[in-house]
Amino acid sequence: MKKGSDAIIEHFRHITENTHEYAKSIQEKGQLLAGYMCTHVPEEILYAAGIIPVRILSSHVSQAMTRSYIHETYCSFSHDCAYQGLQHNYDYLDLIVHSSSCIHMAEAFNVWVRFAGFGQKSFLISYPHIIHAKPAGGFIVESFGEFKQFIEKFAKKSITDDDLERAIKVYNHTRRLLKRLWEFLRRDNPPITGPEAATVTLASQVMDKQECNQMLEQLIQRLEAEPGKVPSGVRLMVTGGACDDLRIFNLIEHLNYSTNLIFIDSCTAVRYFWFEVPEDRPDKLEAIVEGLIGRIPCPAKDNVPGTGEKKRFRFIQQFIQDFKPDGVVFLYQRFCSPQSMDVVALKPIVNMLGIPSTELELDTTVPITQFGAQLEALVEIIKREVPFE
Amino acid sequence: MSYTLKTWNDFKNYQSTCYRNYAYASEGLRCMGSTWSVLAPLKGLGEDVYIIGGEPHAASTAGTFPEEAREDISAAEIAGLGFHSCSYLKLFVGEVLRDKIGITDGTIKKGYPKPDLIWTTHLCNLHSKWYQEVSRRLGGIPLYPIDMIGGGNAEKDPKIVKYVCDQMEEGIRWLERVTGREFSDELFIKAARNEIKVLVLWGNICALNMHAPAPLDERRLIALFPPAMVDRTTDQIVRLYEALLKEVQHMVETGQSVVSNQRFRIVYFGLAHTYGHPEIARILRDAGAEIVASVYTFGTTGNFRGFVNGKWSWDPIDPAWVDELDLSSRRDALSALAKIVLSWPTWQGVRSYWALEQMARAMVTQFKADGLLLAPTRTCETDFRNGYIAIQRIFKNQIPTVEYDTETVDVRKMDLPGSKRKTEMFVHLMEAHKKGGA
Repeated sequence: MKKGSDAIIEHFRHITENTHEYAKSIQEKGQLLAGYMCTHVPEEILYAAGIIPVRILSSHVSQAMTRSYIHETYCSFSHDCAYQGLQHNYDYLDLIVHSSSCIHMAEAFNVWVRFAGFGQKSFLISYPHIIHAKPAGGFIVESFGEFKQFIEKFAKKSITDDDLERAIKVYNHTRRLLKRLWEFLRRDNPPITGPEAATVTLASQVMDKQECNQMLEQLIQRLEAEPGKVPSGVRLMVTGGACDDLRIFNLIEHLNYSTNLIFIDSCTAVRYFWFEVPEDRPDKLEAIVEGLIGRIPCPAKDNVPGTGEKKRFRFIQQFIQDFKPDGVVFLYQRFCSPQSMDVVALKPIVNMLGIPSTELELDTTVPITQFGAQLEALVEIIKREVPFE
Repeated sequence: MSYTLKTWNDFKNYQSTCYRNYAYASEGLRCMGSTWSVLAPLKGLGEDVYIIGGEPHAASTAGTFPEEAREDISAAEIAGLGFHSCSYLKLFVGEVLRDKIGITDGTIKKGYPKPDLIWTTHLCNLHSKWYQEVSRRLGGIPLYPIDMIGGGNAEKDPKIVKYVCDQMEEGIRWLERVTGREFSDELFIKAARNEIKVLVLWGNICALNMHAPAPLDERRLIALFPPAMVDRTTDQIVRLYEALLKEVQHMVETGQSVVSNQRFRIVYFGLAHTYGHPEIARILRDAGAEIVASVYTFGTTGNFRGFVNGKWSWDPIDPAWVDELDLSSRRDALSALAKIVLSWPTWQGVRSYWALEQMARAMVTQFKADGLLLAPTRTCETDFRNGYIAIQRIFKNQIPTVEYDTETVDVRKMDLPGSKRKTEMFVHLMEAHKKGGA
């Protein structure tokens, strides 16, 4: 029987491994559930209406079914999410919501709408593709206004400013707690491991945030009192795209060398929460939009008009400064073109900082041996057992 | 007897002249970007603005210099661009890396002509990231991407039209800042009217292919729309398309076609690929099967009536409508441009499967198709794919429908033997269907 922080982490892990069971248990208490496929969906609006947002996650099961629905050169995450719909694994959801995201995930959403029976219980939020365009903010506010109206009709409940403010505060609290959790990993000998932090973060995306916050508070309280449990090893930072396959993070910490996973820049990890929505603003939708625009951008939407700058790179450089990785792992879905275009430009920056890196392309399943060899080669470069060029 | 287009050489010369002007300009402004953008704002900067567009340039380079194109793509991959990334993008970046540029007149200029600015769009996942990479490789060229957001009926959504207009207004202020030039509304509005006119004229030309025999074949369609992609804002290009429209109208009146043998009429969905893979075109040609309509050649720089009362129509827009458009202010012109570009069939279909399906239904009916060929490009994620599955289901009991993967300019990714076999089977299916057997 695990004790202390381990018991709470185990509870979070149980939720990630049994997301449907968890979601259904909430539904049994009378809560409405809305699935979402992209983190640009304003969860606060759903929450303010009493609906629990549940992120659609993949199952990492090898399958060929979706090849008849989505082109094979779309990423495996989009295929896998589409598969969840076609397999009717999420039929219990009351609603599916998506915001105009990358084309791959948009297609997964389309599969649910057209072929998985969600046609009459779906909503697509019109969302800009250039998030830093000056008029983008106003556009999103209008889109969120339309979404709010739809949700009010759907939930048969008007959403007041007080409802939205409460939701904003609940979500901000989650974000602050998750941030505190990951900041443990800045230490040399943290009381939590990177894979554990990733597990907790993934669980938070399918949980009722109030319950999640209570568990996070207890976890952090215990971690603060516990000694470090991770021996210092080579510090590895991951940057890339959506990855809900926790096995890859476990692999990073179970090589033939001592390694610590200390940061994950992805929309299933820190990009999900590393921002806050301004509180107590007169216009709640504007506040939510400000928060979303200020977050670490998804590479598919990251292009500053005028300069063409990729803002995400600023965040990554800051994380490198704060978390001090010895090596960087570029981890992204095969066929995710925005990610691979970022890696081309990011690699020289990481190189310039003198940090060795490697690239891993994700598919439905994790090739443990191949990735392990690549990661160990990276560690050997870091330990100067082979030259770094 | 096949008809020979009289305007053909004028179109070829126009395209080559545009590229030469860009490549060899010693003065004036060089502007780069997707020519799937609104171009008229660039012309508000003066009469010495030279444009190069990513997609048409990559396509014509592959057509003119196939060996060079392969080297360009390899160079981009060696520099780190992904194997799965857009091959137009890689070819274009490859030229930058190899420090040379190919022009459609068959010449190669050493020393890549650096643009003064990049003015582009963002719609697919890579559309503006393409130019971020070019900008970076060339030392940081100022870049302004416009989010065209897209989707079915986008031009009828005031929120989207306003969003696009606001970005362009902001973009005009940016153009003034980065060039130090004063923006001329007079020049801009003139260019805007030309741009809209060309789009409408091309729509009229394509719609004439509803007739039998279809006056134009795919080879001509592929070659005749790129000049409008390259620069559709000039008086000269308006005159060219007006002349072409008259010529094609005359062909219809006299029952002439550039291809005399048209036993089967094919509707095609996908980026054009037969210019890179003439073997496929040959199979169709030998069987008297002709691609008479395609969303790509029609709708990349062409406008039609579009959605009318919820149903798509490929009927043309009266060119006189353009002359009567009220473009008296900058905002009026921007708004008209935003609406016309947002209503391009290609953009309507990228993110709206229902729009794509409507377009397919209308195209098959209006162009009296004997067969439907679906050929998504492997490295293009916007290639209307979200509708293909449903389109196959819609037409499976109506007309022969075949799908195979293609590739625009990267020959390595084309399964040529497999595609040839499917094309041959497609021809047999149409033959059998005509006889009432399939």
